[in-house]
Amino acid sequence: MDLENLKDRNIGEQKYRMLDLEPTPTTGWGKFKRVLRRSVKLELLVGLKVTIREMFKALFMGEMHTVKYPFEKLPISPRYRAIHEMKRLLESGHYRCIGCGLCEKICISDCIRMDTRYDENQRKEVSEYTINFGRCIFCGYCAEVCPELAIVHGGRYETASEQRASFSLFEDMLTPIDKLKEQKEYPGFGAVSPNADENIKPTPLAY
Amino acid sequence: MSENLITVTIDGIECKAKEGEYLLNIARANDIFIPAICYLTRCSPTLACRICLVEADGKRVYACNAKAKDGMNIVTQTEEILEERKAIMQVYDVNHPLQCGVCDQHGECELQNYTLELAIDTQEYAIADTKREVKDWSSVLHYDAGLCIVCERCVTVCKDMIGDAAIKTGPRGGDKLDKELKESMPKDAYAMWNKLQKSIIVPSNGTDHTNCSDCGECTAVCPVGALTERDFIYKANPWDLREVPSACAHCSSACHIYYETRSESISNPEEKIFRVKNEWNYQTLCGAGRFGYDYENRDAKRDPDALVRAAETVKSAGTIKFNSMITNEEALMLQTIKEKFGVKLVNNEVKPFQEFLKHYAKAAGHMLYKDSFADMRECDFIISVGSKLRNDNPAARYLFNNIQKMNKGAGIYFHPVGDTLIPTFGKSIMTFEHKPHDEEYALLLILKLFGDHEKLPESVKEKFNEDLVARLGGDSESFEATFEKMMKKKESFALMVGEDLYYHPKAANLAKLVALVEESTEFKVAFIPPKSNALGVALICDLDQECEGVVVGYNEPGDFKISALGDGEFDIPAMNQQEGTITNMNKRVVVLNAALDYNGYTLNDIMNKLGLGESLTVDWTSKLPLNKGYQVARFDDLPDGFKNDMSENRGYLLANLSVEREEIELEEFNEKALEGDIAYRCNPQRQFNDFSDKAHQIFEKFALYASPERAEELGERVRVDFGESGAIELPVEVDERISGEIVEVPDFKSAYGVYDLFGQNRYAEVKITKV
Amino acid sequence: MDGYIIGTVIKAILILAVISALAGFGTYIERKVLAFVQRRLGPMHVGPFGLLQILADGIKLFTKEDFIPSGANRIVFMIAPAITAATAFIALAAVPLLPEFEIFGVTIKPIVSDLNIGLLFVIAMMGVGLYGPLLAGMAQENKWGIIGSARTAIQFLSYEVVTGLSLLAPIMMVGSLSLIDFNEYQAGGIGNWIVWTQPLAFILFLISGFAETNRTPFDLLENEAEVISGYATEYSGMRWGMFFIGEYANMITIGFLAALIFLGGFNPLGFIPGGIAIILKVSFFFFLMLWVRSAWPHIRPDQLMWLCWKVLMPLAVINILVTGIVMMV
Repeated sequence: MDLENLKDRNIGEQKYRMLDLEPTPTTGWGKFKRVLRRSVKLELLVGLKVTIREMFKALFMGEMHTVKYPFEKLPISPRYRAIHEMKRLLESGHYRCIGCGLCEKICISDCIRMDTRYDENQRKEVSEYTINFGRCIFCGYCAEVCPELAIVHGGRYETASEQRASFSLFEDMLTPIDKLKEQKEYPGFGAVSPNADENIKPTPLAY
Repeated sequence: MSENLITVTIDGIECKAKEGEYLLNIARANDIFIPAICYLTRCSPTLACRICLVEADGKRVYACNAKAKDGMNIVTQTEEILEERKAIMQVYDVNHPLQCGVCDQHGECELQNYTLELAIDTQEYAIADTKREVKDWSSVLHYDAGLCIVCERCVTVCKDMIGDAAIKTGPRGGDKLDKELKESMPKDAYAMWNKLQKSIIVPSNGTDHTNCSDCGECTAVCPVGALTERDFIYKANPWDLREVPSACAHCSSACHIYYETRSESISNPEEKIFRVKNEWNYQTLCGAGRFGYDYENRDAKRDPDALVRAAETVKSAGTIKFNSMITNEEALMLQTIKEKFGVKLVNNEVKPFQEFLKHYAKAAGHMLYKDSFADMRECDFIISVGSKLRNDNPAARYLFNNIQKMNKGAGIYFHPVGDTLIPTFGKSIMTFEHKPHDEEYALLLILKLFGDHEKLPESVKEKFNEDLVARLGGDSESFEATFEKMMKKKESFALMVGEDLYYHPKAANLAKLVALVEESTEFKVAFIPPKSNALGVALICDLDQECEGVVVGYNEPGDFKISALGDGEFDIPAMNQQEGTITNMNKRVVVLNAALDYNGYTLNDIMNKLGLGESLTVDWTSKLPLNKGYQVARFDDLPDGFKNDMSENRGYLLANLSVEREEIELEEFNEKALEGDIAYRCNPQRQFNDFSDKAHQIFEKFALYASPERAEELGERVRVDFGESGAIELPVEVDERISGEIVEVPDFKSAYGVYDLFGQNRYAEVKITKV
Repeated sequence: MDGYIIGTVIKAILILAVISALAGFGTYIERKVLAFVQRRLGPMHVGPFGLLQILADGIKLFTKEDFIPSGANRIVFMIAPAITAATAFIALAAVPLLPEFEIFGVTIKPIVSDLNIGLLFVIAMMGVGLYGPLLAGMAQENKWGIIGSARTAIQFLSYEVVTGLSLLAPIMMVGSLSLIDFNEYQAGGIGNWIVWTQPLAFILFLISGFAETNRTPFDLLENEAEVISGYATEYSGMRWGMFFIGEYANMITIGFLAALIFLGGFNPLGFIPGGIAIILKVSFFFFLMLWVRSAWPHIRPDQLMWLCWKVLMPLAVINILVTGIVMMV
């Protein structure tokens, strides 16, 4: 499911109705009338009708609400913020992370840490990168601040583990090199807005 | 120093300033912001960036080189100026890579700051880029020309402050600017760009490598990530580093530094110093200060048995031998031990200095030299006697150089070991390569030239009859004319007294002469204490001459070694792991803070075992001896920093107490000249002690240093025979800036016992044989 | 005579076993029905369609710690659940569950004891059942338990009046208290069902049946929103389970009674044999209780009393009067 479909999803139809509540009768006669009305009008049976209708819908019209969670999963929003993914450059397969440390800086739960070094090609290389998922609150700041869209939030939301301070390494989050072709551009939190071009001015180039 | 203050108005704020002061400095001193990239407070204006443009009485001037006049009215920001500044910043951003993420300056970059400050959100200019190579200039310097904005701050600081002048601007080979731009774009931005397109920074010796003292000050002043320390490249982001203000403990200058620490890596959470920063607008560091930081005593543990053993050993010891790598507090503890248990205190580095100070005090009537090096910055005539300026104390050398450059000053350098760098500091520098032990004549010459002859005793005046200039190895015929030229327009004078005088056989004589200079001339006089906390130790401890009984070595070799180097029987914290104070050469008690964790015991713990301790080491701070000029000040109350007007606000100044004065009587000057090979006890640049040697970025070897010619003669390895006191075998290293025959033997490794070889002297007659 | 005793014992054991099992099955059905009504799936994963959930629950109930609060009256506390369960089963003794059938040449009456006052016995036993919750609540030294007990007393006692009065009219018509006589009275097919002649009595009996079995909307005895768990607050494990079994056994009893008295009992229904017919009828009543639970909210105790004494009881009396007048005329 991508963002467009998600926008069409019925989340809250807002079809509320005001109940036309009559004032509570105070006199004995009024109360009696109400009992009579309610009994004779069989208002009580309306409840029974509704419940049996729902039951039939569930059983015979396939409108069962239950999602058998571990066996079937609901589609999640592309803006959902679950376990991070580290993306690669599609052209070279090299990881996108440039080791700028902005995610480390912005992280409000202080769970990102990276070690960088000066590599043989005179570039900044990320020698180690970890996110402590025991502390991560999945706020999405790291994805938002990343200048390279290298760290993004993926859809893997099952984070239960035997250790409270579950720990993840760069390699675990990185798109496997053989799955590079399946890597999709991330449309969610922190991604370039579709109309980004309208909001920036071009920079002149001398050549 | 004239006290005629004038008033200028900057943005409606009235500021008092000295006549002729640069506007930018006045603004900075008064906390008014004027953007400036290329200007350094204590250096000459470069006028490379042109961004400090302001309007003075309606005229556009550059704040960095416009001098203040009384009643001047300055506006720092107008529409046009803003336009100009914006254009300048746009031009700076033209071919500067804007992938800030992979730059070490990211976060503390002035280009970033000013681009944001001036809200540059569009780029109107473009020009083809040229290929600019990344280069390693030396073992510590890394230059990424691609990031360089050619503000020339590095060139300026290297010339005006350091004196090496090891870098300069060179051709860049960039495209010429379009002529139309001259009409269309703001003119200062155009001029700046024009210059920018033409130049790049290169080593000034024409090679790919700088030949300098590797102080790294250029990396500190670099506003962008172009010049960086090789070791620090891509290791940490500035915002991750914890800044610990402290003082460098390597030499007696005790410069203010910031240790920047962070846990070492993901796998090793131990705190580690990543680099050292300084307030480069106020104080300049040397290579040892900047790179010699990782000498901490890392693996110290608390072993109660060792503590008991150490306490017993100290109590029953005959002597505690230590050096000046010690805080005032620890020195006071040792002194307390001496008073309680009668243990002797021996300190080879400080003892002669202490003696010298005593003689001086008797002659001068006050305990300490009158002036401090900080006061000398305004002087325009400086004389150095008895100090191997380049090696002994970088701060003194920077001062000597800075006076030449900034105050159009003149200088005289007296030293037996020839130095090819000092004369390059300025045009009016006279050097005297006199014979060892002839410092007396240097002082006499000063007295003769500058002294109030009526105040001088006859015994001194008698000596004036001799041809002092010739005696000092100068040309007495041309001297007069040259000296007259040097003296033109000179108003204030300074004399730096160095270590050679303290280790002189006639140190008492010299002390008296120095006192005479101070009394009878207009000179500001200051001493360079021989090693880091030598002044503190000299004031606090009562030192003995000779070792006796069991020797406890305190960072020194001994029968029982208490050491911060991690090689002793008992561990104590190194200077970057403990709180304390140091008395520096400016007579200031400055603060040391602990940058790193320390897990072992301290000297105070031994004191507690002996029943003499305080609850904290820094509780001793307020107990420093009042009769030596110290104050009752709590450690936590001591300030640490600089004020906007460059004044030092660190710790407190020692009071210069009066002592009883004795009549000056000079002994006969009949010192026998040294003959044959002469060795001079002198450390290579950036090496001061075992601790600087331990640091991984200090590469200078423990070797015999000689001039290139002399090194050629000596071969690769020599044995230096000191006669009765022993001999030492050393490899030979070339120091290209030495001239003459005298060789230098370093003393920074205490294990070699170099002080014992030289005795109470810095010069020795030796026999050098090839090995 | 020996055969009679053995047969009775076998019948008793069978009823005990089957009804207990049905009570367990009832919990499964209840969960499933409530789930479907709420468009959920209910128990799914233990056994096929989650059927073994009953077993899992059984294991859980049996293995849970059986604790008795320190301040409780131990003996009463321990006996109370047994009273509930026992009376529920004893009541079933006089209820003909199925039509007579032959097996191995022996005619078997699926009733433990065909008392001539069967209906009175059943109602009496269900009335005695009030002692279970009453004593349980009072024995456990818990204020919620006491409130639960009080509610037990007023609710059960009050609605017993309505049950009795509502059944009086059919009894007057049939002229017997034996449930088999009721069955035979309606043997003529759907048209002969007493529900057509006594609709009001049927409705009154159903309402009071809900109250007597402590079902929503009258489950005030252990309404957790108000009184934690009422009389069962301090109970755990199998003792609590016995209350549960009693409740479900009572539900089945009420289902049988309603089917026998008003809906033609185990008479064959067209092509449907009588045995199947009564099971279908009882199942319908069981389902109705669940259905009602899913649809209607609780009522307040005061509303409960108001309903009993001011509405249902007068209606029942009027119903008897009218029936009597019609019969006289």
